Amino acid sequence: MSNSTRSSRYFIFAVALILVLATAGSAQDWIRTGTGLGMEKVRIAAADFKPSTQDPKNADLLKTFNDTLSNDLDNAGIFDLVSKSFHPLQTPGQPSEVNFSAWSSPPPNAAMLAFGNLGVTADKVSVQGWLYDLKNQASPQVLAKQYSDSATADAVRTIAHKFADEIIFRLGGGVAGIAETKIYFVSDRSGHKEIWMMDYDGENQTQLTHLGSISLSPRISPDSSRVAFSSATKSGWEIMMYSFDLNRMVSFPRFGGMNLSPSWSPDGKIAFSSSRNGYPNIYVMEGSGGNARRLTNDQGPDVSPTWNRKTGAQIAFVSGRTGLPQIYTMDADGTNLQRVTEQGYAVSPNWSPNGQFLTFSWMRKYGPGDPGGNDLYLMDIASKQWVQLTHDAGRNDFPCWSPDGRHIVFQSHRTGSDQIFSMLADGTHVKQLTSKGGNTQPNWSWK
Amino acid sequence: MKHQMRMWVLFVVALGAVAFLAACGGHRKLPAPPPPAPPEAQLPTASLAANPNTINAGESTTLTWQTTNATDVSIDGIGPVDPSGSRQVTPATSTTYHLIAKGAGGTQDATARVTVSAAPAAGQPPAENLTEQELFAKNVRDIYFDYDKADIRASEQPSVQGDAQFLQQHSSIHITVEGYCDERGSTEYNLALGTNRADAVKNALVQAGVAGDRIKTFSYGKEKPFCTQSTEACWQENRRGHLVYEK
Amino acid sequence: MAAAASEFESSSLRRPLAWSVGLHVGFTAFVILYAMFVPSLRGQGWGAGGGGEAMGATLVTSVPLPASAEQTNNVLATESKGLAHSEPKPVEKEPEAIPIPDKNTKTKQKPVTTATQRKPEPEREETNQIPYGEGGPASGPYTMFSAGGAKGGFGFTGGGGDFGSRFSWYVQAVQRKVSENWLKYEVDPGIREANRVYVTFDIARDGHPANVQIEQSSGVPSLDISAMRAIQRIDTFGPLPPEYSGNKVSVEFWFDYKR
Repeated sequence: MSNSTRSSRYFIFAVALILVLATAGSAQDWIRTGTGLGMEKVRIAAADFKPSTQDPKNADLLKTFNDTLSNDLDNAGIFDLVSKSFHPLQTPGQPSEVNFSAWSSPPPNAAMLAFGNLGVTADKVSVQGWLYDLKNQASPQVLAKQYSDSATADAVRTIAHKFADEIIFRLGGGVAGIAETKIYFVSDRSGHKEIWMMDYDGENQTQLTHLGSISLSPRISPDSSRVAFSSATKSGWEIMMYSFDLNRMVSFPRFGGMNLSPSWSPDGKIAFSSSRNGYPNIYVMEGSGGNARRLTNDQGPDVSPTWNRKTGAQIAFVSGRTGLPQIYTMDADGTNLQRVTEQGYAVSPNWSPNGQFLTFSWMRKYGPGDPGGNDLYLMDIASKQWVQLTHDAGRNDFPCWSPDGRHIVFQSHRTGSDQIFSMLADGTHVKQLTSKGGNTQPNWSWK
Repeated sequence: MKHQMRMWVLFVVALGAVAFLAACGGHRKLPAPPPPAPPEAQLPTASLAANPNTINAGESTTLTWQTTNATDVSIDGIGPVDPSGSRQVTPATSTTYHLIAKGAGGTQDATARVTVSAAPAAGQPPAENLTEQELFAKNVRDIYFDYDKADIRASEQPSVQGDAQFLQQHSSIHITVEGYCDERGSTEYNLALGTNRADAVKNALVQAGVAGDRIKTFSYGKEKPFCTQSTEACWQENRRGHLVYEK
Repeated sequence: MAAAASEFESSSLRRPLAWSVGLHVGFTAFVILYAMFVPSLRGQGWGAGGGGEAMGATLVTSVPLPASAEQTNNVLATESKGLAHSEPKPVEKEPEAIPIPDKNTKTKQKPVTTATQRKPEPEREETNQIPYGEGGPASGPYTMFSAGGAKGGFGFTGGGGDFGSRFSWYVQAVQRKVSENWLKYEVDPGIREANRVYVTFDIARDGHPANVQIEQSSGVPSLDISAMRAIQRIDTFGPLPPEYSGNKVSVEFWFDYKR
C-alpha cells in the first residue's frame, strides 16, 4: 500500500472527490455542510462482543451492551450500520481472531469493524473494545479501549455509550458523539407537569422536580450544572433553578409578573420573557438572576428567546406584534431587529450549535378555525432558504438541536398524545422516546 | 312565389325552433346546478358554562347553556332542558356537567367543570362573604376574545362595563384576572398571549374607574382549559379573561 | 339595404338569407344545448377545492422525481475514491475504483438534464423553499457524488511518508469532510473545465486546518477560492491519531474541475 514512486518523504495517493455540477445542487449544499450529515456514510459493523469470563451475569450484560452499542452507532447519522443478519458466524473477541476477508467482502461489506469482549469478575465488569479499519490489514487498529465498572446494567450501558462516542468522534471528523448526552423535558405522568430528564435514547427517565404546580420550559445550562425552568406560583410565573451539583432546587430571584421561557447563552447569561413592566418582552439577566435588562419594548407578546450558541451575540425569539406569532432575530443588546418569517404561525425557534440554522415550528398556510398542522422547519439564517422536516404527522413543536448538530428532538401529537421524538436533522430516522403520560418541551444538553 | 313562401316557412320554423329550444333549454338548465344543502341537515351547536366554576362547599353556581339546531337537549344529572337557558346548581363535590344536544343533523356535546373546594377560610363572617361571592358569581362576567387577539372586542364592552360597575359598587372586593387561550398553538406563546389578555381586561376595568391595585393578573395560557373539545365553540369558551373573586 | 336588395333579383338574396337564418338557428341551438349539458358535467366540481391547495400540492409532488434519479447515483458512488484511476497505487488499494468510472460516464447525462429541469423551480419558489426530497435525507439526493467530471486527490506528508497507509481511516475522514464542505455554486457556472489547482494546508495536532495556500492556481479565480474556502470552512478534522508522533501533518490537495 505504500509503494510510492516519488521520494519517501512524499506519498501521494489519490482520494477522489466527485462533485456535482448541477447548478441547482447549490440548493442542498447548505444543509450538507451545516448539519454534517454529509453524503458518504461509513459502512461499519458492530460485532456482538464475546464473553471473556464464565460468570452467569455475562449474558444479560452482554445483551444490554450489544444493543446499546448498535443503537448508538445506528443513531449517529454518519454510519451505514451492517445488519446483524449479514454478520459472519464467527465473531472475534480478540484482535487475533479477526477475519478480514469475512467482514470486508459481501454480504457484510464493512469498511470498519467494532468488536471486543466483556466479562464479569466478582462484582466488576471489564470491557475491551477495538475499532479496526478492514481495508488496512497492515495496521488496522484505529481504537483500542478498556473500561471497567460495577457489574450493573446502567454501568454497562454507560460503557457502551462511551465506546460508541469514541468511534463517532474518530470517524466523524472530530464532532463528539451524543451517546452520553441527556434530554430534559416536561411530563405530566405524576399528575402535575414537572421537569424530568432522560438519556438521549429514551432510557432512564427520571423525575427531577416535585413542585405540585405547573412547571414548563426546562433549559439546561451549558455546563449541565443547572436546569432553568418556569413554574406557576401564586403571584405569577417565576424562573426557577434545579441544581445537579446539589440534586435539589436552589433559590433564584423572584421578579413578579409572568416570567417565561428561559434560555442560556454560551457564557451563562439567561434570556427570558417577562411581563414585569407591562407587556411580555425579552429580558437578559446574569445566570445568578441579577442585572436584568430589557431588550424589546413593544406590546408583543414577545416570548421564547433562543441564543446563537456559536457566537452568543444574537437572539431569535417569537413576537406577536404584527398579529400571528412570527420569528425575529436581534443582536444580544436588542438592536438590529430582523424579521425571519413572513407569514403563517411560527413559534419555538432553536438555534443550531454551529450558528447556521434555526429550527422552528411553523404553520405556513394559516386560517381561522384550522385545528393546527404545525410542522418543523429548518432555515439557513444567512440565505433564508428553508426545508420542511415533518409532513402530515400531526402537531409538531419545540424542536431542539443536539450538540453534534446532526439531530433534533421535538414533541409531536402524531400518536394521539403529546410524546417526545428524535430524528436526524434532515427529517429521517424518527424515533419515539417517551410513551407514558403526556411529554413535551424537550431540551438537549450541550455536551 | 313558391320560393318566397318556402323562405318564410323556413324562417318561422327556425324562429319556432329557437323559441322551443330556448324554452326547453331554459327549463333543463334549472336543475343542473347542485341544490343548496337543506337547512335541516345542519349539525347542532352547543355550549355550556358554569359561572363561577370554582365554589366553596355549600355554595351554588349557575349553569348557562346555548344550543342551535337541536331538538332534544339534556344535561347529565339534571335531565332534559330547554335548548337555551340557565339553572342554578349546588354540587357537593367537583363535577363535570355534560350537555348533549341532539338534532336532525347529529349530536353535539359540551362540558363545564365545577370545582368544589373546602369550606371558606375561617375568621370571616360566612354569611356576608357568601352573599358577596354569590353576587359576584351572578353579576360578574368573563370577557371573551377573538383568535390570537388580546384586544377587547366591541361585543364584550357591555360585560366590561357591567363588571366595572359591580366592582365600583362593592369596593372591598379584590379580583384576579386570569388569561386563557384555546388549545391551538404553542404552550409558551399562549402563556404570553394569556398575559396580554389578562392585562387588557385589567386596563379596561381601570379605565372604567376601578382602582388598579384591586386587580391582579395571571396567565394560564392553554394549561387549564375550561373544556377540551376541538370545536370552535369550545375554543371560544377557552379564549377568555376569567375574573376570580379574591378574599 | 333591403330596398336596394329588392331592385336586384330577389333570388340572389334569398339564398344568403336562408344561410344566415340557418346558421343563427344552428348557433343558438348549439349555445342552448351546451348550456344544458355542460353544467351538469362540471357543476359539482366548482365549489370544491381551492386553487391554493393545488398550487401547494404541485410544489411538493413534482420535484422529488428528478431528485430520486440523483439518489440512485449517490448509492452507486459511495466509494468516491474511485475516480483516481490515473494513480496506479490507489487502483491496487481500492479495486472498486475501476467499475465506478464506467457508471460515471453513463450517468454523466443525468445531472445535466436534471440541472436544466430544476433551474426554473427556484424561480417559481417565491418562498425560498427547498422542495422536499432535494434537501432531504443524507443518503439521498444531495447529488454530490454523482459523476460530473470533477476529480481530486490528497497527499499527506510528514511522519516518514507512511501517514496515509497507517491512518487511512483518518485520510478518509479528511476527504469526506472536505467534500461535504465544498460549495459548488461558488465556482463560476460558465466554467466548463479548468487546469488542476493545488492547495496545501496543515492539520495541527487538534485537527485544526491551518496555513491554507494555493500552491498552483487553476487559472480560474472562482475555482481557486472555492477550493480554499472548502478547507477554511472546516473547524476541525478530528485530532490527529494518538499513535502518530508528529505535531502536524501537511496535506497537498489537487483538484481537476470538469463540467
